[in-house]
Amino acid sequence: MLFEKVEEAIKAEKVLKGADYVVKLVAPPPTLRKGCDLAVEINLVEQMGIERLFRQKDVAYLEVVPLKGGGELLEIVKITNFKEATMVKAGNMKVTFDRDTGIILNASGGGCPDIPYLHAQLIDKKLTDAPRPKEIGFTLCALMMDRAFEECLLLWRKGGG
Amino acid sequence: MLISGTVPIKDLPLTMGEVRFEGEFLVVNDIKIPCTQGTAALISATVATTDYLKIDPPKVLLVGDNGEGMGSRLLYEYLIKNISDLLPDVLVLHYCLPIMDLMRRLLESVERCSKRPIMIADASSMYAAKAAGLASKFDIFTPDATEIAFLADPDATHPAYINRHLFDTDVTRTPELVDAAYQLKSAAKLLLVKGEIDYVVEEGEIIDTVSEPNIPELEAIGGTGDTITGLVAAFAYAELELHEAAIIAARANRMAGKLARATPGTKVWQIISQFPAVFKEYLCEWSGVCYVESNRSMSLT
Repeated sequence: MLFEKVEEAIKAEKVLKGADYVVKLVAPPPTLRKGCDLAVEINLVEQMGIERLFRQKDVAYLEVVPLKGGGELLEIVKITNFKEATMVKAGNMKVTFDRDTGIILNASGGGCPDIPYLHAQLIDKKLTDAPRPKEIGFTLCALMMDRAFEECLLLWRKGGG
Repeated sequence: MLISGTVPIKDLPLTMGEVRFEGEFLVVNDIKIPCTQGTAALISATVATTDYLKIDPPKVLLVGDNGEGMGSRLLYEYLIKNISDLLPDVLVLHYCLPIMDLMRRLLESVERCSKRPIMIADASSMYAAKAAGLASKFDIFTPDATEIAFLADPDATHPAYINRHLFDTDVTRTPELVDAAYQLKSAAKLLLVKGEIDYVVEEGEIIDTVSEPNIPELEAIGGTGDTITGLVAAFAYAELELHEAAIIAARANRMAGKLARATPGTKVWQIISQFPAVFKEYLCEWSGVCYVESNRSMSLT
């Protein structure tokens, strides 16, 4: 995680350690340096829970950048229509809803520990009443499930997909 | 056999025991766990299979984790410390927070075991193994179409960060991705790539594909990827050749979907409950396992 100021990075580390995240202060690689000379190394999969904690604790940061790769989160989705249901896939996360009722029929994919929890929270609820995965999940898998969920909502509001 | 993974019951402490499958629930040491997506689905499929084959049920090591990671860390640390005493024939690593350093330490502990278990990883345990550069230490991975793209991406540490052109690939490019994953040493010795066509791959060579019966609805049902891994694990534990275990698992999962008349709203326990009927009807034809005696000895015809 990159920061504008050194004191923001130090505050971030303190907040994260206080919430039992395993993190450390590091120097950002020169190619990724955008702000100060200090970054916080996190487990990338925990990005979503960490970003939510920062919003709650008012911690400012510039960006989350993977050490390897292009660093762009996969944003595209794929849509599959079954007879009476629509499945939206973001990454390997899928959310399926009934086109007549907007009820979430299934959620699947991924492998992070919050996904079975999200599955239990979403199933059999109407898209408009269900909690958003990004509000109750913690991991990158949950973030991708939220991307699929968001697309389902858009399709439902347009007239059922 | 030992299956380890997290379940979505936040307060569940580290729990080890034998399991049974009761309708919509798994029961471990009198604790009821809903049979939904994830480790519970995997275990339920394994138990349905070991029950049918009349072999020992798996032991399970479970812990509650809702994504914050504390349970996952406990799980890794317990295995790192105790795996050489537990000494399972088959070790299945499933849902947990992918933590590369802990996966490295776990593999070091496994290497010190007097007898190396058959190592199977799925879900985020597979992510951790790939990201830590340890994939080739595993015997079986069971990726889906996006996850094989992740294994084929040299830079990705999670499927959410795979290169867009890899996500855009269709099923016909799976062989290319398989090849790339092996070139990068990001694949286990055997891959069962789940999808519209299931590919069984051994040391980089596609040795079989399974595409019938074609039940597209299975993709929507949370947990049907987990059940395939559970089936593979059970058949590997029953001492079938690993590629044979994978082929039968792929066929059985599809056939269970057909018998359950799967729709996008079907729950995974409804698929699992069809496995005994599938085995009764087809296992002899598929594998030659036609008569089952008690405890780890099966007669072939």
